Amino acid sequence: MLNAERHAYDHHDALQEDYADRGWTDGLPVVAPTPAKVEAFLDAAGLKAGEVLGEVPTREVVVTAEHAAINAVMAGCKQEYMPVVAAAVRAHLHEKANCHSTTGTLCGAAQVVVVNGPVRKEIEIACEGACFGPGFRANATIGRALRLVIRNVCRAIPDFLDRASFSSPLRYSFCFGENEEGSPWLPMHVERGFAPDQSTVTVHSIMHFVSAIDFTARTPEAVLDTILATLRRYGVFSDRFLGDGQNVMLVVGPEHMRFFAEEGWSKDDMRGYLWPKIQKTGAGERPIMLGQPEGMLITAAGGPGMAETWLLIPHLAWAITEPIS
Amino acid sequence: MRDAIELEWAGIPSVAIIHTAVEGSARAMAKLSGVPDYDFILVDYPYIPTAIWSEAEIRDLAKEVAPRVLRALTA
Repeated sequence: MLNAERHAYDHHDALQEDYADRGWTDGLPVVAPTPAKVEAFLDAAGLKAGEVLGEVPTREVVVTAEHAAINAVMAGCKQEYMPVVAAAVRAHLHEKANCHSTTGTLCGAAQVVVVNGPVRKEIEIACEGACFGPGFRANATIGRALRLVIRNVCRAIPDFLDRASFSSPLRYSFCFGENEEGSPWLPMHVERGFAPDQSTVTVHSIMHFVSAIDFTARTPEAVLDTILATLRRYGVFSDRFLGDGQNVMLVVGPEHMRFFAEEGWSKDDMRGYLWPKIQKTGAGERPIMLGQPEGMLITAAGGPGMAETWLLIPHLAWAITEPIS
Repeated sequence: MRDAIELEWAGIPSVAIIHTAVEGSARAMAKLSGVPDYDFILVDYPYIPTAIWSEAEIRDLAKEVAPRVLRALTA
């Protein structure tokens, strides 16, 4: 039984105009969230309309499965994406994902949804070439669905609770999968305690989206030194609320990964090299405030060509991994 | 803003100091919290809100803001 108020339109164009006028979109057209579609999305995920996915207590907001399904339809998702959307909403609304701060901040932090496990193949989540950008329906619409929930339900609206000075194009949508098959490493979700065949999403905030690019490095150490030097330019900040749980995410492309693979370096080996260096903040350097080596999340993604690792440097939040049911 | 409102709910007189850069979200937060008329002190430039201020700038700001905080708490 759906609870949302109903609006009737004579024509699809009238719906688009009315939704835009009411501020229910990100500025792009949306798919009409008809009751039949919303119910189909809920059924696809085995969710009841009133099931609570999470809350933003400071905003007096409770997010239900119906809210998520409506926005997933509007974002252009297929119904089989709904379990991923629901898990992403749950992850984002975890207390330590810090929705209130990361969606209202002056710095305009974005959210990334990283997908692991078999669901990537089932719904065709792009993990390799061009996976950060447009052209992949699952990536584009799952990321957009989370952002529409943040806007339409969590009230992060410019000039209302979103006070970003510039905001970010990443806020339209940002979702990709870990290239588990193209990597010798343990996938991120396995490192975080899930079985390899358990699909998951990991949601994190991004204050800075930065490429650590190095065409000359030929060893694991040299690549990591470039990553660390790039990270130092921005720093990673934490606070008492987040404690030791702050995360930063490194997305390693194949041209950098080859050097780790050739030398047999695991993700833990990478952390082992970086961690002592991270502890020593030199004069004039920005701190990297991670409470533990595992605060560095490492994923493999992207296509061949550019010798780079992307750094997803957070606003104040933990990266939260949720199982997809 | 929400911190001040929740402290008030706990019976602790409070005053929120809000920079003009976030005035809109402060008013939105008061509205969402059910106290749309909750008063607060608005501070403005000359200093960038997220900058690290010099000692002299801090003293200038304190001289301007402190009397307003006192008035708000004792009104």
